[in-house]
Amino acid sequence: MALPNPNATHATPGGYRYGWHDTDKPLHIFKKGLSAETVMAISRIKDEPQWMTDLRLKAYRHFESRPLPTWGGDLKGIDFQDIFYYVTGTDRAVQSWDDVPDYIRKTYDRLGIPEAEKKYLAGVGGQYDSEVVYHNIRADLEKQGVIFLGTDEGLRRYPDLFREHFGKVIPANDNKLAALNTAVWSGGSFIYVPPGVHVELPLQAYFRINTENMGQFERTLIIADEGSSVHYVEGCTAPAYTTASLHSAVVEIVVKKGARVRYTTIQNWSHNVYNLVTKRAAAYEDSVMEWVDGNLGSKLTMKYPSIYLLGERAHGEILSIAFAGDGQHQDAGGKVIHAAADTTSLITSKSISQGTGRTSYRGLVKVYAGCKRAKSTVRCDALILSDEARSDTYPYMEIDEEEVTIGHEATVSKVGSEQLFYLMSRGLNEAEASAMIVNGFIEPIVKELPMEYAVEMNRLIQLQMEGAVG
Amino acid sequence: MAVALSTVLEDAGTGRLSERRSEPAWLRALRAEWARRAETDAWPTGSEEEWRRTKLDGLPRDGALLNDPPATEYVIDPAWAARGVIFGSLGDAVRDHPDLVRAHLGQSRTAAPQAHFWARSLATWTAGTFLYVPVGVVIDEALTARTQLPAGEWSHFPHSLVVLERDASATLLEEFSSPDGGATWYGGTTDLRLGEGARLRYASLQRLGDAAWQIGAQRAEVGKDAVLTLLDAEIGSAVTKMGLEVRMSGGGGTSRLLGILAAGGAQRIDINSTQDLLASHTTSDLLYLAALYDEAHASFYGLTRVRPEAKATSSYQECRNLLLSPLAGAEPIPVLEIETNDILRCGHGATAGAIDPVQRFYAMSRGLPADEAERMIVRGFFERVVAQIDSEPIRARVLAALAARIGSEESDDSGEVAA
Repeated sequence: MALPNPNATHATPGGYRYGWHDTDKPLHIFKKGLSAETVMAISRIKDEPQWMTDLRLKAYRHFESRPLPTWGGDLKGIDFQDIFYYVTGTDRAVQSWDDVPDYIRKTYDRLGIPEAEKKYLAGVGGQYDSEVVYHNIRADLEKQGVIFLGTDEGLRRYPDLFREHFGKVIPANDNKLAALNTAVWSGGSFIYVPPGVHVELPLQAYFRINTENMGQFERTLIIADEGSSVHYVEGCTAPAYTTASLHSAVVEIVVKKGARVRYTTIQNWSHNVYNLVTKRAAAYEDSVMEWVDGNLGSKLTMKYPSIYLLGERAHGEILSIAFAGDGQHQDAGGKVIHAAADTTSLITSKSISQGTGRTSYRGLVKVYAGCKRAKSTVRCDALILSDEARSDTYPYMEIDEEEVTIGHEATVSKVGSEQLFYLMSRGLNEAEASAMIVNGFIEPIVKELPMEYAVEMNRLIQLQMEGAVG
Repeated sequence: MAVALSTVLEDAGTGRLSERRSEPAWLRALRAEWARRAETDAWPTGSEEEWRRTKLDGLPRDGALLNDPPATEYVIDPAWAARGVIFGSLGDAVRDHPDLVRAHLGQSRTAAPQAHFWARSLATWTAGTFLYVPVGVVIDEALTARTQLPAGEWSHFPHSLVVLERDASATLLEEFSSPDGGATWYGGTTDLRLGEGARLRYASLQRLGDAAWQIGAQRAEVGKDAVLTLLDAEIGSAVTKMGLEVRMSGGGGTSRLLGILAAGGAQRIDINSTQDLLASHTTSDLLYLAALYDEAHASFYGLTRVRPEAKATSSYQECRNLLLSPLAGAEPIPVLEIETNDILRCGHGATAGAIDPVQRFYAMSRGLPADEAERMIVRGFFERVVAQIDSEPIRARVLAALAARIGSEESDDSGEVAA
């Protein structure tokens, strides 16, 4: 099962970076705006099977008929007709380094991001040279039968496996934004881990950088077969610049009996982006699903990774961290649905709001009747750093079974003046002292991140505290 | 799909109602004004966050308005009247102290979720309590207002108004009950107004019959340095929807909101609370305890809002649910909206679960039968609220009402609490 060289243009027909393999096809049909024709054209250009075209159209009709959510953040700024729904590499490449906002360039410098990577993150081309590492990992995975492909390629090469799971955890009509994604999705990752296989190193979209991991409407599908384990890492701590104002991804995960999946996301979109993402995992008997979800960027994020505990003794964990600076609203949290006996879950949320930023924890714990001995603990802490910042907590609980242990606790606090005084009396300036306190506050989550992310995360917080970044 | 308020008004006719009750022109105008508001403040559609968990489809709307409700029994030492304290029915107060009532009645508005029912009550009330305590008067006994409502089908929207002037202090229990089986709509509302430095302990004990619907609202305005302790005990009714709103509008004010819910059968209890911290150095704590038997279901949607201008505030919300049957259910949703970083303390906690088997085992290993052990544990569960009721007569009434639901213990007739 030789995997194609991702540098070859034919390998990434759905990607935006290298354009389309059939250069004769006119690309100008993709104007701004959305219609059934756009949806069909996307499917046609990807040469998809009929069932996918039909599904896209069905999802499009659902998107059209459903109103925008009136809860959560303010979505009135989104003009769905002012968005490109399919963008090719040649379109993207016209962006220039000079157009990248100052605050983002400054952050790259302060974080010490290498030149090539900077340009990649800023969406102005360039190639992050991770090929050597990537190939080694790939060869190793291949031997074990692990599939790790772009989603478009996954559909082409594994049509049956793909069709069996696609849109099953998050149906096309789940919500308006998931419907939009189903209609126009492009890119993302397709992962299958065979029974009993443990993928040792985290699979990072970072390594698939030359394909299509940072698409606007990416679609990721992960299937961990019985007794297997995998850790997937998406995004990066450094800011990612895009001119597209809407990012609406869908991530579906199937965790089969006894399997274990951890999905780590660090989102740091530029502050013009509406980030509206649906993420859900179905966890079966004795499995473990963990979401580690960090939200630093975007104008507005609405994202509530969820876990459906469908088999006995399944366990779910959600670690959520959010940082909202000036003008940002992070409406994040998580959902756990207990639908089997002896299932357990833990949600830990840490949010920080600064300047005029607003963080909201929004979560749901639901226990169906008959799910005996279900246990869930939700712990939310919020830190408000400025007088104009705001923090909300909306923890929903629906408990329809008696024999359960369900608890929720939350606190909201500011940086204590005694804490600051103590640190400053030891010679730190106020920004350093605040940063240290904030780093301590998020430590329980940062320590769960892969090392390079943890290091960058701490430095980012420090930059935020100095007011060096926006 | 608003219930035709016009039907109620036509039937009662705010004008004719006033006429029949020989009310002054200002009150007639006030009723008409609130009737207009009841029409503009829409009936809930069911998609509002606060109304998603209680649908009004089954509300018994056909009962005629109780024009002549049974008299409430008001208990107070007559000596207080000499010191300017007024305690009795709102109707009597309108007749005897029109200027005072006029200055306070219908002056408060509620948050949107309750607005319609608040307005309806102010337009069509035919009963309710009026308590006025003048500046500096400290009443050191518990006042009680008990109403036994009739059987049958009716609707009733009493309004109670409590005004405590500067540095005044009072303790008041309002208890109302009705026989089982009457498909009634009880829409009582309460307006508590605490002046600077006032101290009010207010308890409302609901013991409606098993077919009654209660759509109620209680609202309090807590002035500078004032202290409010509010106990909301919901024992009866088929469906209860209670909107509680505490506005901490004076600097340094304190409020403690306590709730006791004991529900069985197919009872539905849905509480919305709002703790609105509008001024600096205010404190507001809430503790709701629910014991749910059979197929009873309790929802709690509580909001703590700290406004940008309210500095150095403390607040807490706690909601605990004891599930005593496999078919009981709970939805505790404690919400925080914090718009300033200058807070001393802010948090919330919520739990739901069955009796800890270790506790049960412990009690039974001491020789208690299973049902007695459960009763004792439930009684202990409520103790955190009961212990905060510092008026002995009120505590005895609450415990008596609780005993009817959770089963009595032999010590009941002594009026003592099982410690």
